[in-house]
This record gives sequence, structure tokens and C-alpha cells, in this order.
Amino acid sequence: MENQKFYYDNKIVKLFILATLVWGVVGILVGILAAAQLAFPVFNFGLEYTTFGRVRPLHTNAIIFAFVGNAIFAGVYYSMQKLLKTRMFSDKLSKIHFWGWQLIIVLAAVTLLAGITTSKEYAELEWPIDILITIIWVVFGWNMIGTLIVRRVQHIYAAIWWYLATFLGVAILHVVNSFELPISLFKSYSIYAGAQDAVVQWWYGHNAVAFFLTTPFLGLMYYYLPKAANRPIYSYKLSIIHFWSLIFLYMWAGPHHLLYQALPEWAQALGVTFSIMLIAPSWGGMINGLLTLRGAWDKVRDSAALKFLAVGVTAYGMSTFEGPMMSLKNVNQITHFTDWTIAHVHIGGMGWNGGLVFGMLYWLVPKLFKSKLFSEKLANIHFWMSTLAILLYAIPLYWAAVTQWLMWQEYTPEGLLAYPNFLETLTQIVPMYTVRVFAGLLFLGGFVIMVFNLAKTMKAGSFVNDEASEAPALVLAGKRNPVTETLHRWMERRAVRFSILTFIALAIGGAVEIIPMIFIKSNVPTLESVKPYTPLELEGRDIYVAEGCYVCHSQMVRPFRWETDRYGEYSKIGEFVYDHPFQWGSRRTGPDLARAGVIGGPMYKNAVWHFNHFMDPQKMNEESIMPNYAWLAVKDVDVTQTPKKIRAMQTLGVPYEEGYDEKAVDELMAQAQTISDDLKASGIELAPQKQMIALIAYLHKLGRDIMSENAAVTEEQGETAEQQAKEITLLDTPEDLEAGKKLFQANCVVCHGAEGKGIPPAFPSLVDDEWIKGNTPTDVFHSIAEGNVTKGMVPYKNMLSEKQITQLASYVLITLQEQNKQN
Amino acid sequence: MSEEKIKHTEPEEHITDHDYDGIKELDNPPPRWIMLLFYITIGWAIIYAAYFFWLKEGDHQDAEYARKSEKHDQKYQIASLSADDLVAFTDEASLAEGKQIYTDMACMACHGLNGEGNAVGPNLTDTHWIHGCDIQSVFNVIKNGVPAKGMTAFKGQISDDKIQKVASYVLSLKGSNPANAKEPQGVECNN
Repeated sequence: MENQKFYYDNKIVKLFILATLVWGVVGILVGILAAAQLAFPVFNFGLEYTTFGRVRPLHTNAIIFAFVGNAIFAGVYYSMQKLLKTRMFSDKLSKIHFWGWQLIIVLAAVTLLAGITTSKEYAELEWPIDILITIIWVVFGWNMIGTLIVRRVQHIYAAIWWYLATFLGVAILHVVNSFELPISLFKSYSIYAGAQDAVVQWWYGHNAVAFFLTTPFLGLMYYYLPKAANRPIYSYKLSIIHFWSLIFLYMWAGPHHLLYQALPEWAQALGVTFSIMLIAPSWGGMINGLLTLRGAWDKVRDSAALKFLAVGVTAYGMSTFEGPMMSLKNVNQITHFTDWTIAHVHIGGMGWNGGLVFGMLYWLVPKLFKSKLFSEKLANIHFWMSTLAILLYAIPLYWAAVTQWLMWQEYTPEGLLAYPNFLETLTQIVPMYTVRVFAGLLFLGGFVIMVFNLAKTMKAGSFVNDEASEAPALVLAGKRNPVTETLHRWMERRAVRFSILTFIALAIGGAVEIIPMIFIKSNVPTLESVKPYTPLELEGRDIYVAEGCYVCHSQMVRPFRWETDRYGEYSKIGEFVYDHPFQWGSRRTGPDLARAGVIGGPMYKNAVWHFNHFMDPQKMNEESIMPNYAWLAVKDVDVTQTPKKIRAMQTLGVPYEEGYDEKAVDELMAQAQTISDDLKASGIELAPQKQMIALIAYLHKLGRDIMSENAAVTEEQGETAEQQAKEITLLDTPEDLEAGKKLFQANCVVCHGAEGKGIPPAFPSLVDDEWIKGNTPTDVFHSIAEGNVTKGMVPYKNMLSEKQITQLASYVLITLQEQNKQN
Repeated sequence: MSEEKIKHTEPEEHITDHDYDGIKELDNPPPRWIMLLFYITIGWAIIYAAYFFWLKEGDHQDAEYARKSEKHDQKYQIASLSADDLVAFTDEASLAEGKQIYTDMACMACHGLNGEGNAVGPNLTDTHWIHGCDIQSVFNVIKNGVPAKGMTAFKGQISDDKIQKVASYVLSLKGSNPANAKEPQGVECNN
């Protein structure tokens, strides 16, 4: 048969490679910034645009969609053309795809830093960008399927199956998870609420890992690994089995992100069981990769590209064993809300995705530029830096996770929480966060060396935009001969049929989980006492979302005694029915806020406390790593949007009365005035229209409804009964004073400040000459032991021993007084 | 030449018509252990589902919480009481201590300084009770709370013998007729 001449489009591959390198540096840099912010809060820079709540989503998006995304497209565009012996279907589509994707990335960076976010993890971008993503993704798919149709190869190879699954999977996930009702160009509400939103989001979130970070990379592995090693694929049959089982099973596993949370048991059980069943299909990919290297391990020793590929595949195997283990409920209670998950995703991200991308680039760039890699030695240095960085990243975070979890659930012999102050459990692990910064720098260093190495390689080589090749035209084979051709082999030459079957395999899992959550009432039992947000609370909630508070604060008390003792009653499904979107969070860098509004509960703080805390968290607690939010006291709530928001909520089924939108602004101002007045009584001037007022109103609403009727603490000014006073002698040994200092930092600095200067007038200074209840050792002992309940001073005699209280009193009267005199 | 060498160490067959840009595939079956692992995990999933849903053997999380919480309370019941010990104190010292606990735990925030009740909580001094008027009932309400109505559970905050004392104090308030008493709620109950 006569050969047809055609040209491979190498230019598009080069563009995607360059974008990968640029966004890789940016993404890692932003990651290092985020890591530094957790170790040293000064790196939040005191600016609203650079707080951790905004920087962290930027890091995840930059790595996933910008760095990894461009790398996928580079790898796919190169290998698809080679595997199908044709140029990409349309140069125009390729170009739109490339530039459209870069536009999305830039828009993402700008909007996320500006606080424009949906708060759904890895799907934070607002609706106009969502639409743009959909369009560009369709362009990609169209180009891919067009290329399949004009192919010159009878059968489509395993790598292409994975590319197809990627396109279809991401399309389904993105569209279903992005249903939102726009309020303005920059704001929308998820159409799902509470537990439903959580199921949809984590079905998406988990499968974004599957279909953006796993399936395309398995496709890349199936091409670049055998090419770089020059070895045949170990088992064709295994390719088939693990492909179909993996894409089918993955879609069911999402609820493992919501174990022990406010979700029906059946949905949680699906998350657990399907995650466990995923081990073998995932490992199928790993062993098919590693066994392909059989007889080529000598090459692995000599080639950095193969080293990266081999370590990448191994990291994949580790991650996909760890993941299912983390999906067991008893393991999940350790790993969820701690740094374990963070370490887990970085083994996957830096090891598997990084390894494959680096391996691919070290092989592909010399190939494209018809030259040898500039320096194999530098590539090896990159390999060792990268591997070391992964260990240096993961080990401290695993350590941190277990430490913090153990501290959360430790009890004293009396049955009280050993570390009732959340901050103690965080302060303990902050040194690990410092180590992580160095791990990031090391990883970046290796990456920069790679960029240099590849740039040198490119410079030395010669690049051809259109690479000539030839192959005979494809004559489609006819009917299947059942004797000589297996069913699967037949499907491999029917690309459209193959795609349809893939789509069906993908759609089942999501449908089985999401449809019942939305349409079967009993899955979300309603609670009479749960009321919709007031307009002010709703505005406050939008600020909470925009600032990315959910990045560090969960709103989900799990049914563990050590959580209910710390935070209050565990969360119920029916509590979240008006939450568009849900705000359960996934990591507790700060304490859970689900019960922050329960007056008398352990998490309640009054408006004055919140004001001071937002203005300067470190002043209230030296070791806090929360950024300050002082601009919330400057910026106004945009009430022109409020009626629109109320109407949108009505559309989504929130039962505001008819015409409530017209009253909304008045009610908002009235409620804001009460908080403003409350602050004024303590000498704080904050105008009612300020954003901080709305945020305080929202925090005071959280978790309150099911604990209803204790809405207001009465202003009973009771005279506390006089106790017969017992004489106290101060303990002035250095050990006692040191113990007193620790106790002071754990219990007192929140209100009285690290230096005991207080926050006048609400919280009195302990170092001046004025004493409300006297300054003899006995008086101070008493003030601490008995507290002053109506003023907010907690009685500590049930939490601390007499000796501890004496130590505390000694620290206040000796050390603090001395320090104050010195200054 | 290396091709030759590989063929020697490798008895497996290339599948003849599989060649994709030079990538060949071998006709090996999947390693047996990976298939076995797959079947075992499927079996485990079925057993898991059966255990929790069809046989209903396993506790769902609400029940698990209740069970573990009870165990927790038992474990830390150092100063705790058996049912026989749960009697209402009437001696002055215990009642004075109970009163002190009443103040310390800020009971007056919802029940008034003298138990007269207020906008939030019911009057504790009349003969009407919502959740029972014997020492066991009052003890139980203080210990476990009535979360739906806003009554805090004090079990994580004070020990059982303190709860017993404050419950005794509350019962001793009956008929004290404080000022501003809230209207009766619940059912008439005398013991």
C-alpha cells in the first residue's frame, strides 16, 4: 500500500513544555510561600491578597491545572500523534487549547488572590471561568477525537484509552460540580446545599485526583516508560483489566473524604469499600510499569529519565496503598483534618506526577530537539534533590499529624482534655512546618536545575516545527472474527464505541451516589430548629468564603468524644441545609468552628474577642499563626447585592418569606447595629456596615440553631457568694514560675495578652496598679479559681489544681510585674 | 545485539500485531497475586457491607459514639457513683457546696440567681418539672444536658459527685419562692 506523507505538529508540544516549566516554578514558589506562612505568619504580609486562605488555593490550582495540566497536554499531544500516525486533527483547535488554557491560569491567579472563589477545593474558580474551562476542555476533546478519527493505525493503544478516560472523566466531574447560580460576574452560589454539596464536591475532588492526576499519567506511563526503556509492555491483559476496573471503581470512592461526618452511613460505606477495591487496579498500573522495566534496570542506573519514571511509578504504588488505608474509618480519624493528608498528596504530587513529568521531559526534550541531554549529571543531581525533598516533606508532616492527633484526644486522669487549648496542639508541630519550607526549597532547587539543563539542551539542538513522517492510510478492518479477535481487541479499533463504554463505566458511580442524595428526602433529615441565615449572617458567610477561612477551619464536629468535649455536640446532616456551598473544610490548622455560635459552649467568643482577634491574633496569643484581618474593619459590606442574594437563595429553596429581599437591607443594618453597639459598650468604635461586623454575626450563628433557646445569656449580674478565703503563699522557685508561665500561655494570654497588659477595657491589665478584686496572693488565687462568670472570666478551679493556680498567681505577681518594671 | 540478549532471558511471546510507535506488548497473564488481591478486596467489601447493613452487626456512627462515650464515662468515673449512692443530700455542708457549684458553673445565666428561672431556662423552685423531679432525673439532666433545648451537658466539666451536690441543692430550692419567679413549666411532680 502506498505511504502517505504527513507532518507531526511538534510546535504545540514545545509550547506546552515551556508552559509546564514556567508554571512549575510559579506553582512551587507559591507552595513555598504558603508553607512559610504556616511556619512564620509574618509571610502573610498583612495584606488581604496574600493571606494563607487565598495563597493556598492558588498553590493547589497552580500545581494541578497549570504545571501538571500543561505537562499532560505536552505529553498527550506528542504521544497521540506518534501512536496514531497522524498530525493532530486541527492546528487551530490545538492553538485555542493552548492559549485558552494559559488564559484560564492567569484568570485563576488573579481571581483567587482577589478573594473571588467558590470555596470548593480544586474547583474554586468562579462561574465565568468555569464556562471557559468547559469550552477549552471541549476543544481539547474535539481535537483528540478528531485525531482518533483521522488516524492511520488500526487499533488504539492503551495510552490512548487513558487519555480518553481523562477527557470524559474530567468533563463529567467539572460540569456536575460546577452547577452554580450566579449573583454577579464574580459571585455565585452552588446549587447544592450542605451534605449534598459535600458529596458532589468530594466526588469531584477525589476524582480530580483520579482523572487529572492519575489516568492521564497512566497514559503517559504507557507511552514514555516503554519508549525510554526500549522494552515491551509486560502484560497486555493486565492493561485491560486494570484500565476498566480502575475507571469504574474510582468514581465511587469520593465519600471517603467525609468519613465520620454528617453524611448517611451508606454513602460513607461506599467510600470505604470502593477505596479498598481500588488497591489492586491501581497496583496493576504500577506493576505493569515496573515489570516493563524488567531486564532494563541497568539502563535505569544510567538514565535520570528512567530513574524519575521508576520512582514516580513506585510513589504511585505507595500513594495508592496509603489512600485506601486512609479510607478505613478508624485510620481516617487520624489522617483526616491533620497533616497526614497533606503529606499523602505530596507523595502523589511530587513523587508520581513530578517523577513522570521530569522523566518524560528528560527523554522528550532531547528527542524533540534532536540532541543529547546537556548534562546527565545535572539530571542526576535533580533526581537526588527531588527524592530527598519528598522525604524531607513527607516525614515531618506524618510526624506532625500523629502528634497533633494524639494531643487532640489525650485526657487527664480526671477525664478532662489534656490540651483544651487547640493552639497548644498546633504550636507543638510548627517546627515541622519549618522543615517543610526547606523541603520545598530543595524541590524548587532541583526543578530550576532541570530548567537550566533543558534550556541548554534546547539551545544545542535543532527544532523542527513540523516533523515529516509517512504511513499507509488506514483501511478499517471489517466485522469481528470471533475466533481470531477478542472482543476487547475488536473494541480497540472502534474508537467511538470504546469512548461510549468508557463514559458508561464512569457515569455509574457518581449517579448512584449523587442522585439519591438529592432526591431522596430521608438522606437529609430536616431539623425544625435550623433557620436560614439572616441577611447579615449571609453576607458574613460570603466573607468567610472569600477569605478562605475554610482552608484552616473546619465546620464539622465528628462523633468522637474528644471532639465533642472540645467543640460541642457533633454535627448533624440537617444542620447544613441552607449552606450553599458547604464549609466543612478538610484540614484543621485552626480549631473547628461548627459550634462557634453556641453561647456557653466551649467555642463561643464574644464580639469584643473576635474584634481583637481579627485585628491582631498574635497580640492575643503570641504563638497563633493566623494572619490578621484588619482590613475587615475598614471595608464595607456591599449591601446593594444583598436583595439579589436573598432572591438567589429563595430560588435555591431557602424558605425566606415572599418579598423578604426588600426588607433584607433594613434587617441587615438593624442586626449590624446591635453588634456595633455591643462593641461600643466595650469602647470599640466599629461602624455597622463594616465587613467584620457581618463576619462576627456569621460566626455567632454557627451551630447555634440545634442548641436553640439558649440564644441569649441574660444580663444577670449576680453577686457571687463569698468564699471563705484560704491564705495563699506564692511559690517563687524558678521551676514554679516556669510552670506558671506555661499555664499562663496556655490559658490566659487570649484575653490578658502575653505580657499581661490585657485588652482594655474588656479584659483588665494584670500589670498596672488597679485591681478589681485585689492584688494579694490570696485575692489573685481567688480570681483565678472562682473566675468572674458574668464578665467572661472562667473559673479555673475545675481545670487546674490548687498548686497550678498558685503557680499561675505567682507568675502574674512576680514575673509579670518584674518584666513590666524593666520595660 | 541487546535485543538478542533480552530474548534469551525472556521466554514470553510478543503479541505479533501489537506495535504502537515501536512499543510492543507481551502476552503475559497478570501476576496471580494481583488478581488474588483484587478478589480478596472485593470479598472484603461485600463482608463489610453485610456486617454493617444486612446483618446490622456493626454500629453506625451515632451508636458507636454513644457506646464509646459511655465507656469513656466509666473509665473516668473515679469519683463516680453507683445508682445506690445517688441520693439527694440534705446536710447543710453539701447544700452549701452545691450552691457554690451552681454559681461557679454559671447556672444562674439561665435559671436565675436563686433558681427563679428567666427567659432562657425554667424555674427550679416550683413544683412543675419538665424532665422529672427525683434526684436521678435532675442528676441526669445536669450530667447529660438537653442539647436540643439549650441545657448544657456538664459531664465533661464537673465530676459526678459535684453534679450530685448541685442537683441536691436544686431540689432543696423547692418552695423557696424567690422574687421574679417564672411561671411553672412541665408537669406537676412531687416526691
